[in-house]
Amino acid sequence: MAAYVARRFAYALLILAVITVLVFVVVRLIPGDPIRAAMQQNVDLSDRRIIEETRARFGLDQPIPAQFAIWLRDVVAGDWGRSLQTGEPVREMFHRRLPVTLELFVGATVWAWAIGIPLGVLGALRRNSALDVSLTAVAIGGVSIPAFWEGIVLIYLLAVVTQVLPPSGFVPFTEDPWLNFKSILMPTFVIGTHSAGFLARYVRSSLLEVFGEDYVRTARAKGLGEPVVVSKHAARPAVIPVVTVIGLAWGQFMAGSFIVEYVFALPGLGRMGVDAIFAKDFPVIQVTLMATAVNVLLANLVVDVAYGLLDPRVRVR
Amino acid sequence: MLTRRELLGVGMFGAAALTLPPAAWGQGKKPWEVWDYRTPPVRGGYFRRSASLDVGLLNPNHWPVNDWLVINMFYEKLLITDGSFRPVPWLAESWTFPDPLTCTMRIRKGVQFADGEPFNAAAVKLQMEWIKDPKNGAWSAGWLKPLRAVEVADEHTVRWKFEEPWGGFLGIMANVPGYMISPKLLQDDPKKADTQPVGTGPYLLEDRSAGSWIKTKRNPNWWFGKAVGRPDMPYFDGTLTTIIPDPSVQLANLKAGKLDWMTLSKSQFEAVKGDPALAVYIGPVNHIRGYRFNHSKPPFNDLRVRQAVAYAIDRQAIVAGIEFGMGRIASCMYPEDHWAHNPALRPWPHDPARAKQLLKEAGHDKGLTVAGYIVNEVQSRARAEAVKAMLAEVGITWKVDELAPAAAADRMKNLDYQLAAGDWTWIYDPDLMASGLHHPTGGFHFGRSKNDAAIALIEKGRREVDTEKRRQIYWDLEKVLYDNCEDVWVFWEMWPSAYRKQVQGYDHEMTVKHKEIWAWSHPLWFKDGRA
Repeated sequence: MAAYVARRFAYALLILAVITVLVFVVVRLIPGDPIRAAMQQNVDLSDRRIIEETRARFGLDQPIPAQFAIWLRDVVAGDWGRSLQTGEPVREMFHRRLPVTLELFVGATVWAWAIGIPLGVLGALRRNSALDVSLTAVAIGGVSIPAFWEGIVLIYLLAVVTQVLPPSGFVPFTEDPWLNFKSILMPTFVIGTHSAGFLARYVRSSLLEVFGEDYVRTARAKGLGEPVVVSKHAARPAVIPVVTVIGLAWGQFMAGSFIVEYVFALPGLGRMGVDAIFAKDFPVIQVTLMATAVNVLLANLVVDVAYGLLDPRVRVR
Repeated sequence: MLTRRELLGVGMFGAAALTLPPAAWGQGKKPWEVWDYRTPPVRGGYFRRSASLDVGLLNPNHWPVNDWLVINMFYEKLLITDGSFRPVPWLAESWTFPDPLTCTMRIRKGVQFADGEPFNAAAVKLQMEWIKDPKNGAWSAGWLKPLRAVEVADEHTVRWKFEEPWGGFLGIMANVPGYMISPKLLQDDPKKADTQPVGTGPYLLEDRSAGSWIKTKRNPNWWFGKAVGRPDMPYFDGTLTTIIPDPSVQLANLKAGKLDWMTLSKSQFEAVKGDPALAVYIGPVNHIRGYRFNHSKPPFNDLRVRQAVAYAIDRQAIVAGIEFGMGRIASCMYPEDHWAHNPALRPWPHDPARAKQLLKEAGHDKGLTVAGYIVNEVQSRARAEAVKAMLAEVGITWKVDELAPAAAADRMKNLDYQLAAGDWTWIYDPDLMASGLHHPTGGFHFGRSKNDAAIALIEKGRREVDTEKRRQIYWDLEKVLYDNCEDVWVFWEMWPSAYRKQVQGYDHEMTVKHKEIWAWSHPLWFKDGRA
């Protein structure tokens, strides 16, 4: 098992290295000069000295390979650079925003499981019934509704009309746990429902497949009740493909956070990324995209390990 | 960059609900020197507003600054502007030009920075030298190019020496370089000024979470309130600016009572104007929306083709159909309420038949294809679609790319366009825009045109310090540009905004009439002293 995990970890590191280089080069190849664009008409651009000095201050006057070498050297030394927009150290920005995004992910996972798994199990147990069709429609709806639209509708209903939740913003848990809970409820629901739709569909089809297996038929033939059949005989084999979906969902949460954090004005990594992309804030884009990559790689690693634990055949391979 | 909403939106510095007593004019007072409140102001509460972007750096001379309203809470300028954007006194009391290369300026006594440092001539001198020193990386340094030296004549008198006669000097001091920063901060730890502002303004920094919110608290020693016999000014305990990127979520916060003021997007106006909890206004903004020709290559090196475009565009339809009626049809580059605008000019009429005739005369009777770009933003896209259709009607196909600001800046620099978006925002001293767009050394010119008469007038305007003569120069300049159809001017901007009715003291008419000077001198308050 240890060798299996080590192999997976090595792959992840290799992929991360490739992504690092790709991200660094590609964002710099996007047309446009971030300094000139951001200064706009505020600066007398005929005074080229100001542009050049500002560019040099951020190291953007160097060739891309040299910029990469400097960036890598600094990152190894713990310096992730400074934001072109706010002048803040990127590392500090990242550390301040990471807890917000992690809380979002955890909350979204809770919603996804709490909604998706029961819907999938019910659908499988009542296959082709009116209930199953209805649940399928709900699941597809959850997948199809755009997050920004769902967010705006929820804000209107729960914050403007009924005023039971705050429209936007974030209160840290350490400051006020109750307000923190209220501020995170809608955004986690929006991300969670999207994943819940997928999860419900996978749980349903996975269970249906297992229900057709001989050992489940045998269990039923022995006269076992449906709850025992499902929980004791069908659940474990059925959960293996579902683990993949859960892992993928964790990876997709980052993409969801780009939209949801923007809509709900949450100060997390997703919004930091959106702001940075609009402003061509290279150091921040770099860190945000790498965080996205690390998140996906870690999720995949966890899925791989979970596979190994759940299915001995994987460990042998 | 979203951006310098410092004038009509200036909620917390807004105005009093008053009817100006005409007698005040007769007593030699300026209209903004009157505080005739129907209900007495009440102290207390935090004024809550939203912004779509974080303020950025808090030293106005260090790029980027995304929210000038926040900057105005901490810092004040030597001069500010009146209703026609003319510089008027603020921290500077008076000035004279004993010769064209010298300005002698008296500054106010009894003003202190928030760290206790006195505001004096030495502070002004230090700041200007700090801005000009390249090692300090001030993006405003270019604006001080004509400044040779700053001398301390006495504690409260500054003598400015210029390299050449400098007509735009007062306008520049009413702009970014004029924001006065504590000399101690600039001397001891200028880097700190990026995050810890120390000025003379009505508020002090209380707390900040960059990217999320910034909170200020009342400056109990604000000189202005004391100087006008109203020591309770500013009336709010502080302000809270929350960063909410999405306009519809900003509006939800306003409707839910979580904000006291916001600038609305035009499409939100109709949905909000009937809300009994809100007071909604539309006000003029000193921006021009239009399109820019590249005169350096065909087909827009031909006046007839430029005129054809000007005739083809139906400005009224754009304002009515796309801007929700919020825009003033433009006749040239400076807004109609700007002192530099030539009132004799009339907007180009919509005349497709004349446009076709001109194209035929120019040899384009079989049609014409031109390329260009706009910045990818909702309103810009909608306007460009309308303009495309209007141009198509007269036989011009406009292939327009929708670009991010950075990519658009590159296209402009490389003259890679024939017809492109040509907006200009925050028009104060007329030279910045005139030089920027129409002079070969201008930062947005890059060799796109060569109008000798305009260049001569721009250079004359830079050197002229007499206000009336300077006005005539810019009137002449606008006439020259208009006759040469230098660019397409579509409309001068207007913005809607909304206040919760709990907010007291805003007088829309006076704010529109006197703008910055009114807003700075008439702080708002809450009805019962609470948000």
